[in-house]
Amino acid sequence: MADFNTLTNRTGNIYVTIAAILLVSPALSAEVDTSDWVCEFCPFEPGHRADYEVGATNVSDDSAYFGDATGYDEAGTYLNVDGDGSYQNDAYQMRWKVEDLALDSRFAEITGGRQGTYDYHVSYRELPRRVFDTTQTIFNVASADTLAVPSGWVTAPLTSGFTELGSSLMPRNIESDRKTAALGGRYMFSDHFRISADFRRQKRDGTDVFAGSYFSQSSLLPRSFKYETDEIDVGIRYANDYGFVTLAYYASLFDNSNLELRWDNPFTSSPGAEQAALAQPPDNSFHQVSLSGSYRFAPARTVVAFSGAVGTIEQDELLLPYTTNSNIVTTPLPQAQLDGKVDTTSYAFTVTARPYRKTRVKFAYRYDERDNQTSQLLWNRVITDTFNSGEVEANVPYSFERSKLSISGHYDLFKTVRIFGGYDRTTMDRDFQEVAEQTEDSGWGGVRWRPSALIEVSARGGASERDIDSYDEAFASSLGQNPFMRKYNLAYRYRQFGELTFSASMTERPVSFTFNAFYADDDYRQSQLGLLEGEDLRLAADLSWSLSDKASVYLNTGYESIESLQTGSEQFSTPDWRATNADAFITGGVGFHIDQIADKFDLQVDYLRSEGTSEINVDSASGGLSRFPDLESALDSLRVRLIYRLSDRLELALRLRYESFEAEDWGLEGVGPATIPVVLTLGANPYDYDVFAVGLGFRYMIGGADSTDDSGPD
Amino acid sequence: MGPQSFRRYFVLLLLGIVISSMTDAQTIETPASEVPYSRKGADTCLACHDDQLTLAIFRTKHAVPSDSRSPFGSGQLQCEACHGPGGAHSPRVRRGQERPPVVDFGSHEETEVSVQNDNCLNCHNADVGFGWHGGSHDDDEVACADCHVSHAPRDAVMHTSTQPDVCFNCHQLQRSETLKAFSHPFFEGKMDCSGCHSPHGATADAQLVRQTTNDTCFQCHAEKRGPYIWEHAPAAEDCTLCHSPHGSNHPGMLTSRAPLLCQSCHSQSGHPSIAYDADGLATGMPSQYLLGQSCMNCHEQVHGSNHPSGSKLMR
Repeated sequence: MADFNTLTNRTGNIYVTIAAILLVSPALSAEVDTSDWVCEFCPFEPGHRADYEVGATNVSDDSAYFGDATGYDEAGTYLNVDGDGSYQNDAYQMRWKVEDLALDSRFAEITGGRQGTYDYHVSYRELPRRVFDTTQTIFNVASADTLAVPSGWVTAPLTSGFTELGSSLMPRNIESDRKTAALGGRYMFSDHFRISADFRRQKRDGTDVFAGSYFSQSSLLPRSFKYETDEIDVGIRYANDYGFVTLAYYASLFDNSNLELRWDNPFTSSPGAEQAALAQPPDNSFHQVSLSGSYRFAPARTVVAFSGAVGTIEQDELLLPYTTNSNIVTTPLPQAQLDGKVDTTSYAFTVTARPYRKTRVKFAYRYDERDNQTSQLLWNRVITDTFNSGEVEANVPYSFERSKLSISGHYDLFKTVRIFGGYDRTTMDRDFQEVAEQTEDSGWGGVRWRPSALIEVSARGGASERDIDSYDEAFASSLGQNPFMRKYNLAYRYRQFGELTFSASMTERPVSFTFNAFYADDDYRQSQLGLLEGEDLRLAADLSWSLSDKASVYLNTGYESIESLQTGSEQFSTPDWRATNADAFITGGVGFHIDQIADKFDLQVDYLRSEGTSEINVDSASGGLSRFPDLESALDSLRVRLIYRLSDRLELALRLRYESFEAEDWGLEGVGPATIPVVLTLGANPYDYDVFAVGLGFRYMIGGADSTDDSGPD
Repeated sequence: MGPQSFRRYFVLLLLGIVISSMTDAQTIETPASEVPYSRKGADTCLACHDDQLTLAIFRTKHAVPSDSRSPFGSGQLQCEACHGPGGAHSPRVRRGQERPPVVDFGSHEETEVSVQNDNCLNCHNADVGFGWHGGSHDDDEVACADCHVSHAPRDAVMHTSTQPDVCFNCHQLQRSETLKAFSHPFFEGKMDCSGCHSPHGATADAQLVRQTTNDTCFQCHAEKRGPYIWEHAPAAEDCTLCHSPHGSNHPGMLTSRAPLLCQSCHSQSGHPSIAYDADGLATGMPSQYLLGQSCMNCHEQVHGSNHPSGSKLMR
């Protein structure tokens, strides 16, 4: 019999050897014998299941703002049809969903496929855009691109002289609809290769506001428009366990049904200028090829990612003549079409590495270029179909190059403390602008303390300096600019910023609290005219409490303040006036939901209040201090959803929605069609509404083993 | 065990530790090598975990037996494919003894986020795209489960009407912005964050879905793309020089009101440089430079004009 020591030594050897092998080869444990894993109790659910909801909603009042995106823009009763469902058979799955099927905001989608082989999606969405329902106009729609004054219209040099105005005004809502149809899919023809294709067509048509000016007078026109945009995305991807690469093509084709907008001049006009024309957004196209991918160098704990794209924007619309006024003589157009072309180039390269477990570093470089290849030509300048200025000027094809180099990293000082920091350098080169080259250097750093998975505090701060090689005052002067002006995107800027986040949660009482704060201060200290200062402060906090597995309550709030200071010069010299802008916004929301009250009822209540205020003050040498009335907006929104379970499959849903919105806007208040002497407006009123929407519907579930599927909020 | 034997074992152990630290960074850092898998897979787990939330996974793509890649495919590890070995978690525990955990998901769970995400990325690495590793969410240790719900037939973040609320759990500052008077239709549930941003990471600034800000905006606003004969330089460069896409107190989501917004760049002699004050309101001497569309009462073509005589963006 071996002695005890020998036996112990041998046993010890075995145990240590096994431990060493297991430590070295963690993958060995993944080789598990699953032959007994028959999933006898797994409740797979092949077949079909669906929820259907049919009901009606009554809306108490007309309101464009309430109907914007929702479709509930007019008082009345609306049919509600919603539903979603799924079908599963072996590896084939299909899901469908419809929302607001009977409204102008309808949505329908089908997705499906055979897992591991292919998938597809088809969708259709309408988005109503309701801007104003208080607007009026004198213009008749003579044709798709022409607006005419009514017969018997008497022109005048000022709006106060429009004797036929009162009898000519007709309501015309400013509204449009966006309809988007999408179709696409992916096919995986091997474990490594996959192709994808997506097509999307957007149609937008309706009426919006477009200003038609006549040198010193103008009319706000209810323009009819009809746009169509087609997008195509196709790609092929190769992937393995360490990375992937994708070759893709993207195209966007825009079509505008109208080349121009013509309108009758309601003001007294010079001979030949009774009707004018302006150009509509031209048809254009964008084509882009891209290559992107990443690779993981596992032993080195490094990931390399790259992307590159080249594209072309083209526009070759037939040009309008210089003027519709046959009394004005001009030279011929330099060419019948612009032949506009912009080449775009983008590429990016990132390397992310973890040289040590506690450290991560990232290097990134990005380059974007807009190279406007459109020819510079000489054009006559006819002033708003009124007279030929005699000037000839060249168009300016703006181009730029932007590059950004970033280095960042973090180090886990302790298990609970991480420090991080980074540096960015952004360079921007521009053609035909006051600043040819500018460089911005940013540095930032921070610390994160995470003593447990339940608490985290993070603080980050930094500064950036945007410097320019020189501001070409001579070039600015050639454009008629005051040489002291510094455009804020071209000016020297020093920015400081800071951010603080805090989150905490308790598992004993499932309460979580988060707080975010952000501050940025911009100083344009080398500018005399233009934007001089900017400050942005944002705060937000959330509290949520799961009272039980069937009830929870939340509270959230947010605040933002944006202030700026700018100067100007009426004397075309050094600053002689200054203006301050102060925007403030505060929002607060509270809500709760309780499920299975008395095993029959689910109740959800959400209330939101948000208020926005903008203060503008102007202090000038000529007029003194002037404070504008505050621009204000206030929204109250209450949503209540009560579900009553009639049976396992049938529910009655009651939805109440109350929304109140009030705005004070000096740009619109008291501004009727003839308020401004030289502008015929549409007389829109600031938003002010109270709307009740009460909906009742039945929801029926078919298929499936249970009836607790929640399709989401109302 | 004598000193000599101890030294031998220690060196062997040390060697094992050194070698294992050099293995693939993506190795799941659970004590997988020390913890066995369960005896019967999902049937073991379902003996205790038979609540609605757990069972809901069987209505999702993760539970398709005929897909050999899915956790419930033939030969796969079922629940333990994601939650790690449950052999120590499932047996009875002694009174007062804590049950050994399995991998749990969410940034407030005890399992390290890197471990959680590695489990997901073992299968979904190609799906998240090339920008995840080193991107903002990866760097900030956002867990996949912070946004995605695997145990639900309807993953809220995958649907337009519910996605923003998921994003706003962390991006509260942006939630506030979207509630301003003029914003994209997030509050109405008609637009989602992924229409403009790529949450899995992208090399573009702000993780935009297209290469540049303007390319992203042109997806829906292609009429602004041009190129025009007469371009407005800031519009051709970056839409956010004038607009706040998350929301603003001002119509058109402008960063501030005209004429002051325009006068922060335009200083030509004459009407562009006049200080317009409250005397020009409707109650005083109504001014075309303040009321209606302000500067755009005439300069409508602020994004660019394709009219041969449109150099002043009026045509």
